[in-house]
Amino acid sequence: MSSTTIDLVRPAGSRYEGLVLLAIALIFAGGVALYVDDSGSGELETIYEWQVSAFNSLTGADQAIYNSLYTVKDEIPYIYDDINYFNAPGEKFRWPNLQDFQDYLLPPFLQDTSWEQNGSLKWSLYEPLPEGEMQGSTMYLGTDGALPGQGSFLLVIGHVHAGFYNSNSIVVWWNEANHAEMPESGFRDSLILQGWREVVAYSGDQEVERIYGE
Amino acid sequence: MIRAMTAVLRKFVCMLGLLLALASGEATAQGLKIGITLHPYYSFVANIAGDQAEVIPLIDAEANPHGYTPQPDDMIRMTSMDVLVVNGIGHDAWAFEILDAAGVRDSVELIYANDGVSLIPVAGDNSGEKIVNPHTFISTTAAIQQVYLIARRLGELDPGNADLFRNNARQYALEIRRLRAEFDSQVVGADLSRFVAATMHSGYDYILQELGLQVSAVIEPRHGVEPTARQMADTIDRINLANVNVLFAEKYFASRLSDTIQEATGVEMYSISHISSGAYTAEKFVAEMRENLNTLAQAIRDVAGKPR
Repeated sequence: MSSTTIDLVRPAGSRYEGLVLLAIALIFAGGVALYVDDSGSGELETIYEWQVSAFNSLTGADQAIYNSLYTVKDEIPYIYDDINYFNAPGEKFRWPNLQDFQDYLLPPFLQDTSWEQNGSLKWSLYEPLPEGEMQGSTMYLGTDGALPGQGSFLLVIGHVHAGFYNSNSIVVWWNEANHAEMPESGFRDSLILQGWREVVAYSGDQEVERIYGE
Repeated sequence: MIRAMTAVLRKFVCMLGLLLALASGEATAQGLKIGITLHPYYSFVANIAGDQAEVIPLIDAEANPHGYTPQPDDMIRMTSMDVLVVNGIGHDAWAFEILDAAGVRDSVELIYANDGVSLIPVAGDNSGEKIVNPHTFISTTAAIQQVYLIARRLGELDPGNADLFRNNARQYALEIRRLRAEFDSQVVGADLSRFVAATMHSGYDYILQELGLQVSAVIEPRHGVEPTARQMADTIDRINLANVNVLFAEKYFASRLSDTIQEATGVEMYSISHISSGAYTAEKFVAEMRENLNTLAQAIRDVAGKPR
């Protein structure tokens, strides 16, 4: 009976095989991570501290209210033209009031079931002083929402002729406070000091840039 | 061999069509030739442009836009367009393949309908990421945002008709708003406190959010990607825990998952149209959104009418 001896023979490069395998695994894992990361969401959105992202930060009802206001920005100038079209000579031009919005079926002002579901915000209008005097911006305040954690909204229309802005502008602001008072002016710095933050949309052009880089 | 010959013949016919279309100079005829990728955009553009432009669907009416594979005819149609209206944020990526294949990427104007839309994330995705929801066209408010943007861009391309496009867009927006008023008349006074909804996929997030109806669970948060068995079990648990009583499923693209969910949870199922099938018509968007809103109203009334 003969005894068997087993000799373990290591290949010359065995010390490096483990390292090579580890490196390959790391490269593979890195590749997978990069691939997954590429399928992420709106990373292109950069905002200032005094702004808030409708996409990333607002919750369901407040997001819905903002998106309605976002559309109103397009429609208010048309309604303004409509309601002032037959003005008599010298008659003061006015911005739409809350009743006009009901007549035009315009959310988020329209008091329907969706308005109730989205917290029944109480809307009020701040009208600027007559022409020729120091004017403020036209402002629509929505506050005292019924949903837990709901904030307040402010739609500010700046006027060139009032000396407030370089161009006509319509800006939507959000305040995390459930109750807010109508601000005395629509100046940006003043609003920021009172806790208001400009709402910024994540819009299709940003998403197209993220997807296609164009 | 026969298959190879057929492929060669198909390529030849395709190239011939392309040459004929280019030679005919259709793109320079009077009035814009406006291409569209999805059914709702046909309705939007037809209502904005009226008889001042020709609206050309890029793909066949019955083609499923989800995961669509471009066909040779699409390239021929593409060469006849001055401008193409696209969703651009994930629902018609194939349009860009067709643009490239037809070699007209630089000559056809693109209108990205969602450039003027405030986007929302996909609801009910538990991955922790916020993924952009591309279904902006199953909506009222987001639809109006797109109508205004398309009208503005068309007005820039055809200044002589800019006023007409803007006025038509306003009229159309009002028609869409009236849908909301009709919906409201059906649910006014209904008790919505027990209405808890789940959806088969994220296609209905915009309209549900606009109406103030929140979604508690989504079976397929990433459209077209079926959940794993574990994800499905978790979703069923969430539906039961949240006392979901309504499930909205796709009307035209059947899914066996909806039956499974219904059997496992006992929720009532209702069908919503994705507005992505059937003939292209100017009336289609309003007609199908009216149906969708009627369905939503019915679901609300059914839940409100159930004994506590």
